[in-house]
Amino acid sequence: MKAIIATTVLGVFMMFAGIAANNKKSIVAIAILLFAALFGVTIYELVDTPANSSQLLFNNMLQIEHSSLWFNMLMTGCTLLYVALMGKEIMKVGMHVAEYFALIFFILCGLYILTTYNNLLMLFIGIEILSIPQYILAGSDKRNLKSSEASLKYFLMGAFSTGILLMGITLLYGASSTFYIDKFGSILHYDNINPLAIAGMVFIMIALSFKVSAAPMHMWTPDVYDGSPTAFTAFMATVVKAGAFFAFLRLFHVSFNSLGQHWTLLLAVITAATLFVGNVTAVFQQSVKRMLAYSSIAQAGFMLFAILSVSSADASYGMRGIIFYGVAYSVATIGIFSVLIKLKDYTYDGFNGLAKSEPFLAFVSSIFLFSLAGIPLTGGFMAKFYVLTAVVKQGQLMWLVIFALLMAAISVYYYFRVIIAMYFKPGTPELNSPITTGDRILLAISCALVLLLGIYPQLFLESFGK
Amino acid sequence: MDIYDILFWGLSVMAVGCALGIILSRNPVNSVLFLILTFFAISGHYILMNAQFLAIVNIIVYAGAIMVLFLFVIMLMNLNADVEPQKGQLVQLAGVISGGVLFLVVLAAIKSARPEVIDKTSTDIGLISNLGKVLFTKYVLPFEISSVLFLSAMIGAIVIGKKEHVHEVTKAE
Repeated sequence: MKAIIATTVLGVFMMFAGIAANNKKSIVAIAILLFAALFGVTIYELVDTPANSSQLLFNNMLQIEHSSLWFNMLMTGCTLLYVALMGKEIMKVGMHVAEYFALIFFILCGLYILTTYNNLLMLFIGIEILSIPQYILAGSDKRNLKSSEASLKYFLMGAFSTGILLMGITLLYGASSTFYIDKFGSILHYDNINPLAIAGMVFIMIALSFKVSAAPMHMWTPDVYDGSPTAFTAFMATVVKAGAFFAFLRLFHVSFNSLGQHWTLLLAVITAATLFVGNVTAVFQQSVKRMLAYSSIAQAGFMLFAILSVSSADASYGMRGIIFYGVAYSVATIGIFSVLIKLKDYTYDGFNGLAKSEPFLAFVSSIFLFSLAGIPLTGGFMAKFYVLTAVVKQGQLMWLVIFALLMAAISVYYYFRVIIAMYFKPGTPELNSPITTGDRILLAISCALVLLLGIYPQLFLESFGK
Repeated sequence: MDIYDILFWGLSVMAVGCALGIILSRNPVNSVLFLILTFFAISGHYILMNAQFLAIVNIIVYAGAIMVLFLFVIMLMNLNADVEPQKGQLVQLAGVISGGVLFLVVLAAIKSARPEVIDKTSTDIGLISNLGKVLFTKYVLPFEISSVLFLSAMIGAIVIGKKEHVHEVTKAE
């Protein structure tokens, strides 16, 4: 709750800072400071709340749990890293730099609601607060036609999926006459369930799958991620997506885990389709930015495993999986995007010979790509390990686990194409701007984080290790 | 037959009549005007059911905002009865089938409706004061937090709508 208030106030403050500050550089500096302050607030709230406690606020609208606060803290940390790495690039996107940062604050507000909601109304408002600033950020590069296209496409498709979400909520309300997600478990019974409730559940599943870009609701993803300014794509594909996944998991864990028989197979099919479409299509891409968009679909397939596992008795594995995957994926993706944005040419050829001219840049991007591909000793490996373990423990979907391993093997191909281009192909890549010492330090920090996630994962799982 | 019944039947005839007017009139602008009248008739029904808030919102949102949008679209696209494009046979067939299915659903719903379970005792739940009380007690958090949503939408309107400085544009070209 403190974080929700803090991020709103800081967002408004950021807007006024835009009036007061006279150049873009000082706005970026203020933004970094404010995000650091927000990070401090989330840490304080986490420390302040005793473990294993759960408190209900505002007539049970919010349920604050330790896992939610932990996730909030990690995601705010990722955002801080993102703003520090990308601040200079955000500055170049357009005129309204302070407003862009304010919108990022508001996106975090939506994310905090999505991690703690206890009522479907809050889920709806959270999803909307998370989405609407994204539509704006996607279209912020007004001189670029692709950016406008991305914004409009995202807005129309997002509005459509919101309609489906609302329809699902209405049907669920009709079947159970409550909006509180902790009441569904006692009202809806597995054997004599109202068909309205099943329809509502499927509608909500479809709408949330859209938000996390799971196939076949993924069509918008490549165009939107490709068209948006790269600085904002890095945020949309990481922190926002992890937040939407947490909301997805929370709903199906708290409300529908006893109804697993009704939705597990459907979600398993969606997962398989997402893995297949994401990985196979990524192979054929020529632009690295577009490849990363498809790879984000593929990674969403893995995150869906965590949701599949919550229908079992012990859901802590799924929770642990989503938190860890969210962080590992976010750090690596923000890292690779911040390397990509330095290059003039976004195709694979643009990376040719990077190891010769910028050995440090080539090294860190290799580490990020290793993590995305799931090579041991990096965070991505442990993340895939956790989500797959969660489903293996649940014990019903072994075919899907094997399929996922196969798809992970395919993903190695397109991630390593970038590494091969950097190390083994001749050429001199053109850079947009020289790499400063600050960039190097921040990239080294993200690189260290990726390795730390892989070597010492318990550090990021504090209370879920058991 | 008391005043309630007279109002009810009057509004019902007006709603159905105007609804027929929408689909029967050849001129799109007339259709839109009929649609506005239909919304007013429905709002009258809401007031009869003691739901003031719903009635007002229905007029503000539908008759006000959405209809103006409709009119703009019609005027911008300059749709007239004589320039209306001819629909193909297949489209007409699809329209007949989907309309027929909808008719069937409505018919089935009316057939299975049980008028004896309708609660005819008047309630105050739709009054604005009661709604306000619920909004500021039970649902205060969603109500307040939606201000963040509107604030970001307003920022969006400014960020997207405001003109960028001229020298920046020329530099890009």
